[in-house]
Amino acid sequence: MENRLKELRAERGWSQAVLGEHLNISRQSVNAIETGRYDPSLPLAFRIARLFEKPIEAIFNDSEEEG
Amino acid sequence: MATLSMAPKAVKRRYFARMLGSAGGYLGAVFGVSFLIDKGDPVTPMTILAALVPGLFILAMLWAVWRYVAEVDEVARHDFVQAKLVALFSVLAISGGWGLVELFNTNVPRLPVFWIFPIYFMIFGLVSCFRFRRIV
Repeated sequence: MENRLKELRAERGWSQAVLGEHLNISRQSVNAIETGRYDPSLPLAFRIARLFEKPIEAIFNDSEEEG
Repeated sequence: MATLSMAPKAVKRRYFARMLGSAGGYLGAVFGVSFLIDKGDPVTPMTILAALVPGLFILAMLWAVWRYVAEVDEVARHDFVQAKLVALFSVLAISGGWGLVELFNTNVPRLPVFWIFPIYFMIFGLVSCFRFRRIV
């Protein structure tokens, strides 16, 4: 699943470590989500959405839907 | 959903402290018991109990793993459990495979069951060094 996490993080000038602190996950975990190596659970996706004040679908893009 | 209250770095530090403490205790107990019990000694309930002492530290390590899985964030948990499964299946394949070799060949060297646990942790350590691409 593609996501805009890196872009949204850059808009706020946050490092992966800072975003990790906001979400209470490690920097490596932020990197795994950003690079698409790991798709977050629904509760974590909601936490991310709340943090950036955007709906989940504005951050995560399930490409199957478009096809 | 359980909320994570501890910082990720603190969780890792605690896990490593628990694991190193337990591993140190395990090694100390193995050497201590091998010093106290001679292989030629008669088997008594005391020698069996003493030989089981290192096993307590194995339980402590399993408890540390259990706590880590419960406390760490979901991404790290995913990678950790994946590495644990690879190590578990590898050690099952090694012990099962070599067990068959031993079964059908009487002259091959025996793999003492004692080695299963160290081999498991060695494979886990090795596997943990690699970042997995998506498997599931």
